[in-house]
Amino acid sequence: MKRSLSPRTPGVLALAGAGLIAALATGRPELALIAVPFLVFGGAGLVLVPEPHVTASVEPGRLRVSEGEELTATVRVRNDGAEPVEVEVAPVRTGHLALAPASTVALRVDAQSETEAVFSVRPRRWGAHGIGPVAVRTRDALGLTTSEERLGTRIDLRAFPREERLRELVAPLRTQPFLGTHVARARADGIEFADIRPFVVGDRAREVNWRATARRGSLQVNQRHPEHSSDVVLLLDTFEEARDQDSGTLDSAVRTAASLARAHLARRDRVGVVDFGGTLHWLEPAFGTRQLYRIVDALLSSNIAFSYAWRKADSLPQRVLPPGALTLVISPLLDERSIALISELRTRGRDVAVVEVSPLDHVSAGPTAADAVAYELWRLQREALRARLQSLGIGVAVWEPGGTLGPALEEVNAFRRSSQPALRA
Amino acid sequence: MITNAGAANQLAWLGAGTAAMLLAAGMVAQSPAPVHAAVAVLGLMFLLRHDARLLLAPVYGAGLLLMEDLAVRTIELSGVGEIAPRVIVARVGATLAVAAVGACLSALAALAVTAAVPRSVLLTAVGALAAVAAFVAIVFFVRRRFGP
Repeated sequence: MKRSLSPRTPGVLALAGAGLIAALATGRPELALIAVPFLVFGGAGLVLVPEPHVTASVEPGRLRVSEGEELTATVRVRNDGAEPVEVEVAPVRTGHLALAPASTVALRVDAQSETEAVFSVRPRRWGAHGIGPVAVRTRDALGLTTSEERLGTRIDLRAFPREERLRELVAPLRTQPFLGTHVARARADGIEFADIRPFVVGDRAREVNWRATARRGSLQVNQRHPEHSSDVVLLLDTFEEARDQDSGTLDSAVRTAASLARAHLARRDRVGVVDFGGTLHWLEPAFGTRQLYRIVDALLSSNIAFSYAWRKADSLPQRVLPPGALTLVISPLLDERSIALISELRTRGRDVAVVEVSPLDHVSAGPTAADAVAYELWRLQREALRARLQSLGIGVAVWEPGGTLGPALEEVNAFRRSSQPALRA
Repeated sequence: MITNAGAANQLAWLGAGTAAMLLAAGMVAQSPAPVHAAVAVLGLMFLLRHDARLLLAPVYGAGLLLMEDLAVRTIELSGVGEIAPRVIVARVGATLAVAAVGACLSALAALAVTAAVPRSVLLTAVGALAAVAAFVAIVFFVRRRFGP
């Protein structure tokens, strides 16, 4: 560690020197006597204080944490020198990590010993964050010299997005032939009653509906809807976002995507994710908890990448959008390219629904009357856009980031129930 | 030298007020420079005294050093979020020890001053050379240890 003089040292030495010189100039020995303690202080501080030998490291309690959740990070400082040192430590961290205490912690470390300071760390936003190295400032016992250095290494923390527990999900129009929780339109073994038909050879006796048989005079059997899973593709629009100082629509969109992924995977659906924007990333649909972690990890790297590229549905690999999959688009509906893609998917016969992450919270009208008119026009344009998408058979749920997602999804389901014949066309 | 007691009293109050303002400015600006200016002003105020100056000067110097240290440490620690209790104790102890040693050395110097040595140009030159040599030695040491 390289030492340097602290800001006070030149002042102390100047006071001592000024006292001596003034005593000589004025012939008043009292000034020299007053200067002597300063001279002793400066001399002792600069001559007697040894070089510090300090090492430091930071160790977070966990490497994976939920957004907004607190964890502790322990900063360990070791003094290998022969004299005790006073250190001020603070871990260096990326912008979205809040530390408590927010500034440094002052410690005294004895010779050949170790001490630690505990910081509370809270990720304010989902994503990959870094904590470390440790900024260390050592002072000698008299505070005349300081050494500053960054010690230790950076440790990566992953903050998972805050998720909402969803009771209702968008019901897919088509299901896959795997066991799941969605009532399929097909008729096979299941729980939900579908219809009654005449008995044919091979039907099981327990399926015979005796009341219908008695009424009709011939053997009748129950038909049922099986419970199947479905394929769900979460299409995250990262072309553009509305953002203010604290948050943006992408933050909310990622939280929504994580909530939807968890809920669908819990219902045994195959879930995939497509980060559709300036850069294209995808994860093929799959089942299970491992897929949830893959999806969340993929979502953590989502960001808005500026691009002029006009992407179409052909840009997406076929295996990412399996036939019959429900495509849930999570978008602020701000970019023409994403709106065109949604329309294109629907016109190709895909089952599409949109969760619109409302940008209105992040945008406000300007101060003038013309600004207010422009803002109202923009709102009306957005409503017209929603109506246009709905006319194509695309359910659009407007979700205000402060509210809950459940009612918005129920709104989509209601729209889809009311327009099912058109949707299947 | 001011011989009028009333004027000296007024000047003392003025100096004390200036020093207090400089101290406050140092605290607000988080800078030790105004603190050192305040110490210099208080050091000059000592010349206003007429009684037992040589006797009191070592204690006065040690007191000024403690005041400077307290003010500067307050500025240094104002930006620190959490302070371990041992830090304060160790700092105050070290400064008190150095101030005590300084006061003792200063008292020895006061005894030397009161010795009845006839004033001469040679003695003054030796004193001046000693002061300059001490200052140059400190500067030389600092430059050698911390670079230019």
